[in-house]
Amino acid sequence: MLKVENLYKSFGKINAVDGVSFEVKKGDVFGLLGPNGAGKSTTISMISTLLAPSAGEILYDGKSIFDNQKSVRQRLGVVPQEIALYPTLSGYENLRFWGSIYGLKGDLLKKRIDEVSDIIELNGRLKDRVDKYSGGMKRRLNIGAALLHTPEMLIMDEPTVGIDPQSRNHILDTVLRLNKQGITIIYTSHYMEEVEYLCNKVCIMDEGKIIASGSQDELVEMIREKTQINVRLNRMDSLIAEKLKEINGVSDARISDDTVVLHGENADTLLAEIALKVSEGGMFIKSIDVKKPNLEAVFLHLTGKALRD
Amino acid sequence: MKMLSIIIKDLKTILSDKHAVAIIIIMPLILMTILSFALKSSFSDGDYFDESVKIAVVKLYNGDEDSRMFDETLRNGIFSKNMGEETINELGDSSRDVDPERIFFEEFLGSDEVSKIISYRIVDEKTAMELLDKKEVSAVVTLPEKFVYDMKINLVTPFRNNVDIKVEVHPDKSIEGVVVKSVMEAYSSAMSSVIIGKNVIIEEAMANGVGELKNLDDVMEEVTSVIEDMNIEIKDVLVEGRKSITSADYYAAAMMSMFILFSAGHGGRMLLEEKENKTYQRMIIAGTSRFGILSGKFVVVFLLSSIQITIMTIYSHFVLKVQWGSIINTAIISAAAAFAVAGLGTFIASATFKAGNFKLANTFESAIIQIMALLGGSFFPVDVMPEVIQNLSFLSLNGLALKSYLKVMSGYGLNDVIKSVAALGLIGLVFLILSVAVLRGKEEHYVKHNKVKAVKA
Ligand SMILES: Nc1ncnc2c1ncn2[C@@H]1O[C@H](COP(=O)(O)OP(=O)(O)OP(=O)(O)O)[C@@H](O)[C@H]1O
Ligand SMILES: [Mg+2]
Repeated sequence: MLKVENLYKSFGKINAVDGVSFEVKKGDVFGLLGPNGAGKSTTISMISTLLAPSAGEILYDGKSIFDNQKSVRQRLGVVPQEIALYPTLSGYENLRFWGSIYGLKGDLLKKRIDEVSDIIELNGRLKDRVDKYSGGMKRRLNIGAALLHTPEMLIMDEPTVGIDPQSRNHILDTVLRLNKQGITIIYTSHYMEEVEYLCNKVCIMDEGKIIASGSQDELVEMIREKTQINVRLNRMDSLIAEKLKEINGVSDARISDDTVVLHGENADTLLAEIALKVSEGGMFIKSIDVKKPNLEAVFLHLTGKALRD
Repeated sequence: MKMLSIIIKDLKTILSDKHAVAIIIIMPLILMTILSFALKSSFSDGDYFDESVKIAVVKLYNGDEDSRMFDETLRNGIFSKNMGEETINELGDSSRDVDPERIFFEEFLGSDEVSKIISYRIVDEKTAMELLDKKEVSAVVTLPEKFVYDMKINLVTPFRNNVDIKVEVHPDKSIEGVVVKSVMEAYSSAMSSVIIGKNVIIEEAMANGVGELKNLDDVMEEVTSVIEDMNIEIKDVLVEGRKSITSADYYAAAMMSMFILFSAGHGGRMLLEEKENKTYQRMIIAGTSRFGILSGKFVVVFLLSSIQITIMTIYSHFVLKVQWGSIINTAIISAAAAFAVAGLGTFIASATFKAGNFKLANTFESAIIQIMALLGGSFFPVDVMPEVIQNLSFLSLNGLALKSYLKVMSGYGLNDVIKSVAALGLIGLVFLILSVAVLRGKEEHYVKHNKVKAVKA
């Protein structure tokens, strides 16, 4: 449905997007995960025809979106990272405005406003001015404004930034519901859990590049051996690291103060052997801490830095 | 449809902003009310004249020749046949005291009242026409051949000779023309009443003996007093042709012309504001062209200033008793002023957008509007200011509007304001073109992509 090939965008000396390629299939919930400044919004801006790429191609249904701007714009719904609404107007007035900007009018517009306000669960508050809304309500309206023209693909740029967990869950469920109704979704975030919860396909971005991509399963597979086990001991014998490395399935071990840090596959089976080796060495375990693989860990592994500060 | 939605949305946005409404609507209403009362005294003298009406007076007669001729007529003329020698001598003596030139130039045109309204110079016929052509005078008053002779006949003898004083007016100066004609009519009707009074006396004298003729001197004195009485008549005529401007009239028009500029200021922020809160980008993503968005801003400023004008004219008319004059002419001026303001606002909008900060819009509101207000006479009438400023006042959009409103208020026609109206239209157009030119440079949207691809390939 959407194919991004070798996309570049630079602002002066900054290469905000530095050779990005990926593909989104119909029905996907496609996650674009990356820390601040990774280039997610810039990529989204190019897909949504707001920014011209410095180089590269974006194909929608096999055709360049540059040549079909008009029809592509009608088929995409874009939820910007910022709350792009008119705060002094009411929720209803905002929806009506954005609907008419997408060419809706009359009864159809009214009907869509009703349907959309059901989806975002704002029907009770549509008469109020947007600046009287809570953060979560504004976010929901921000999404609603992108749904009025019944897009076939919804691009959401960090739609849950700065809101409480309850509103966030509400939004995540809305996204899944929309997807069930047949809308393809591109979802950017720097929250691991969101992407894990929502997406069947994930691209991890950093400094303008894609550093890992695949389905959830593929990514989990990829980081499987990256389980990290921290073993804190009562005293430290420098030989212990070598001994632990001998265990089948442990890929590395190093000492840090009173702790041995191991990496390996399938932590559950390793724990017993680790305990045995430790007692053989005449020491005992004060605590043990298993860090199961997640996207955070992959990110840390691939870039040497945390996803969030 | 889309455009309409954008316009409605923009209008609602501004009108839902209390601060904006306070500045563009409430403040001018308050100011015009205060100023029209506070400065009442400085306007109480009434008539709003840029200056007195200038006329040229042409003398087609020869005063000395006429006087000589009159003396001759008195002695040999038909009318003296029925008179005794004594009567003729009396008339001769009286006639020497009667000087129609002095009456016309000094006692009439030179009187306090008339000289306030009309200033004259005496020139020959050819020069007078040249002056009229160049609009250096508004009218030419021609005193006919044998003026002195005929007037003496009229004033001293029982006969009446026709004296036709010709008034020629420049077509562009119709109001001034009315004033001059009225003044001349007042003169001749004053003369008529003196002449009738005199005739009664002479007839009596002829019936009852010369003794009565002594009263003729009193009649001559009467000439002066009648001329003084005339002043009232001139005033009445003036009110008919040209209304006087009150302080309320002045400041209603002045505040209105100034405060519509704030619409341009507000409109001028809108584009960048929308970019900053990303609604601009959202509209682009939805397929709106930025020139569409820009034209929306133009229409919005136009409507906003029209709303201001409507509210202010209605308020000033009903509350401050301001007489705006012809509704159609006021509407035409208002449309031109709103157009100029809209052009200006659009220019500020695209320049502000391009600059990426609000400095221009802020400077406009905090300084440029005040300067324009000063130049254009929104604070004090321009004619009390130094000439340099008076000459600059045409540069200010509000000055043009104010001048036009005042003219229509005092009874001028569309012809007399058409230049200012055209200038306002031109200002609007120039700013509109500038704003498109300014915005055209910046382009980071998809349109350019083909170029990028070409470079890559
Ligand atoms: N218009 C611009 N001009 C200059 N630099 C820009 C512009 N837009 C983005 N950048 C730079 O490009 C880089 C990528 O920015 P982008 O907004 O795409 O990141 P992001 O992944 O969306 O980050 P965040 O999670 O903070 O939204 C950043 O270094 C940013 O400073
Ligand atoms: Mg972003």
